[in-house]
Amino acid sequence: MTSRALRISPAGVRGIVGPGLTASCAIEFTAAFAEFLDAPGPVVVGRDPRASSVMLHEGVLAALRASGRDVVDLGLASTPVVQHTIRRTSAAGGVSIGASHNAAEWNALKFLGAHGRYLSTPEANELLDVYHLRRTAFVPWDRLGQLRTDAGALDAYLDDLAEAFDLPALRRFRVVADCCNGLSALILRRMIDRFGLSLVLINEALHGVTFAHEPSTTARTVALQLAPIVRPLGADAGFLFDVDSDRVALADGTGRALSEELVLPLVADLLLARGPGRLVITNLSTTALLDEIALHHGGRVLRVPVGRQAAMDELTAHRPDQIAVAGEGTGAVMMPRFRFVYDGIASMLAVLTLMLERGRPLADLVDAYPRYHILKGEVPLSSPRVPRLLARLRARYATGEDAGHADVVDGLRVAWPGRWFHVRVSQTEPIVRVICEQRGEPPTALFESLLEEVRRHA
Amino acid sequence: MPETPRREHLLKVGVSGVRGVVGEFLTPSIAAAFAQAFGTYVGGGRVVVGRDTRASGEMLTHAVSCGLLAAGCDVVQVGVLPTPSIQVYVAATRARGGLAITASHNPPEYNALKLFNAQGLFFNNYERAELVDLYHQRTFRDARNDEIGGVTVERRDAARPHLERVLARVDAARIRARRFRVALDAVNGAGSLVTPHFLREDLGCDVEAIAVDPTQPFPRVAEPRPEVLGDLSDLVRRTRADIGFAQDPDGDRLAVADETGRVLDSDDVLALAVDVTLPHLPGDVVVNLTTSDVIDDVARRHGRQVHRTPVGEAHVVDGMLAVEAAIGGEGSNGGIILPAVHLCRDSYTGMALLLDRMAETGQTLSALAATLPGYTRRSGVVPFEHGRLGAAMQALDAAFPDARTDRTDGLKLRLPAGWIHVRASNTEPLLRISTEARDAATARMLFDRVGQLLG
Repeated sequence: MTSRALRISPAGVRGIVGPGLTASCAIEFTAAFAEFLDAPGPVVVGRDPRASSVMLHEGVLAALRASGRDVVDLGLASTPVVQHTIRRTSAAGGVSIGASHNAAEWNALKFLGAHGRYLSTPEANELLDVYHLRRTAFVPWDRLGQLRTDAGALDAYLDDLAEAFDLPALRRFRVVADCCNGLSALILRRMIDRFGLSLVLINEALHGVTFAHEPSTTARTVALQLAPIVRPLGADAGFLFDVDSDRVALADGTGRALSEELVLPLVADLLLARGPGRLVITNLSTTALLDEIALHHGGRVLRVPVGRQAAMDELTAHRPDQIAVAGEGTGAVMMPRFRFVYDGIASMLAVLTLMLERGRPLADLVDAYPRYHILKGEVPLSSPRVPRLLARLRARYATGEDAGHADVVDGLRVAWPGRWFHVRVSQTEPIVRVICEQRGEPPTALFESLLEEVRRHA
Repeated sequence: MPETPRREHLLKVGVSGVRGVVGEFLTPSIAAAFAQAFGTYVGGGRVVVGRDTRASGEMLTHAVSCGLLAAGCDVVQVGVLPTPSIQVYVAATRARGGLAITASHNPPEYNALKLFNAQGLFFNNYERAELVDLYHQRTFRDARNDEIGGVTVERRDAARPHLERVLARVDAARIRARRFRVALDAVNGAGSLVTPHFLREDLGCDVEAIAVDPTQPFPRVAEPRPEVLGDLSDLVRRTRADIGFAQDPDGDRLAVADETGRVLDSDDVLALAVDVTLPHLPGDVVVNLTTSDVIDDVARRHGRQVHRTPVGEAHVVDGMLAVEAAIGGEGSNGGIILPAVHLCRDSYTGMALLLDRMAETGQTLSALAATLPGYTRRSGVVPFEHGRLGAAMQALDAAFPDARTDRTDGLKLRLPAGWIHVRASNTEPLLRISTEARDAATARMLFDRVGQLLG
């Protein structure tokens, strides 16, 4: 796996600290970012609680200040808070240090542009070029950047949330939140103090080395610790955050762990009804329930390749007021009100607002939706074998009688009415992901034959 | 000295650590990589990081902390602190090692990393060579998340262990009783806060200070040479001070002015310190080859020998360890090393010893200095091309066939009338020439003669 211990891509730098992501890599990439940034102004920096984040944080500060950039250091702060601070203070950009939903040994640097935007693909490619050319902008000793903090960053972020959501009205809900020892703990604790929300926090202590459980926002992790305590605590819902709080998963008031695929449909249901826009942007692997909800509200789903970058690029092709919501089936959702920042906290508030507006428990809301069953699997496969696999699958499922509609922009997605599958290569690991969904019944037979086909190529 | 050094002289990575012009040359990448090599070499554990007041100190603290953490060390940041205090802190807190981010007496655009072992001492030659090999091989330890330590910021008075050791070597009550008036020029360096406090609170002095704002740039040349200490001399005279002290930015070098405002020759300052110390401590004296014979005269008074080493604090310290010296130093640069405090150049030891001597004898500093045998020295530099050194040495050797020679650092010629020392600078493309004699005319004659031979 060491060959995949580091990935430097348009999405930033991600790797296993030690064998992959090193101090020098962090410094050199951040120096390239400082050189790449055109706009004047400071750079906002935040980090997650991982032990390695302290190391990377020092390197990032050194590189930025050596490049003559003033730094607004937020210390422990989530990516959404960093993004909000960039926008609020008209900073030139930001660096967020943390590996959100990845295991503790991973870490990553996310580079953010003006207004807290994720970099577009052309921008990200330019940044990569600067990095590979080792172009740096180190300045003389008397022009080094200064460091300051911003103690009000979290409150300003919460003020923004309080403007978008009726927080006093949401006090009526009793909510359990699993912070997974991550940054949501700081945000939610402050929300309790300031707005009196009825939140019960578990796994609240920040940890650098071991998390209470894998920080992935899936129904499986929700089922571990969170779902079983929702009913005993008399809570209306449970929310589980990744370490960075940009993603969320959930459990309903009956103690049922809900599929991570449901977060985006629920938020889409709320926002399409309010009518900020008609488009829902998501990726090819996300539930088809979304299409039904969009149709119900007279909206439309646009599907793009998997990954934040493709979603960002699609967003820029539309006027912001045309878009209702964007996101993935991983619990990562971004809303136009928050300038398209993946934000698990805002997603939680949106789901609670939906419960409030519809006057129904979360379980009822979910059960009223058509029932979709999604199966997800993965098979190790070396990259050279992938094209042949995809060609075989396409020949088998997208030609002749009973052919589905094929989409080949990211691996192969074949869709029939009420049923689809998507076979694609992971961006982070040498594996092929197989995702298969069906309305009404689990698509077990299709899923098994797909897995068998993939394994045959391995 | 050339006005604009050539590019290859703007960064040095070698056995004395890393030193360079911050920006294009001394980059955060280099600093972090060197710190990671250091962390790898000391094998993890607690490593102390401190700095002087240079503008680049904070940036390099980030970079060094990053490299140390990446090597699996726990970082203890002591912030702005004199180098000798950092060294004693390393030893007193049983850390695995320490780094001082300071270019000592170099101009503000420079910075450097000074490296200390678990005893708070400079690495010896063999250790330094191994460390530099590690740096070049890039065979660093890359700690994983569960092996990475953290950063601790020391908020207590990190200079205290050092100052307590200094105070233990003098009769502080005797000094306090005199309520000396002391003028101080801390060059806005690491001593800006520590030194006034030390002189006032620990030694009961009435302190008149200039350049004690650590947030401001150096107001004068960083090296406390007599010709740049006019403000201190004025301060001494204006405030009728008993003595004046000037430090360099990291508080290891000391210059001293007497009550008339005259800045003493730094060899004489060392000689006074030697004279104070030898009655109380066993052992010989170790100085570098360029240090005045005044040290030999003073040591002879106490029946002790003087040993000479190549120029550089690390060499002197190595020599002192080897002979278990009572005291040592380098007259040429205001360095006093008292192992009973710590084996490092230390301006605080120098200040305390001189004040103690004045308190003990009741004499003025000028009177104490007048008891020293008089020598005159001349020194200067000539630009030096690589490859010319051997020929220059041969020419000198041939010109003074009767001289006793010492070739441990360049060439030292001992003549009946005095001595000549010619050596290549460790840091710049220069030959440094020093001569000494009992009278000014002879010193000058020797100096001019060398100039002709090398010109």
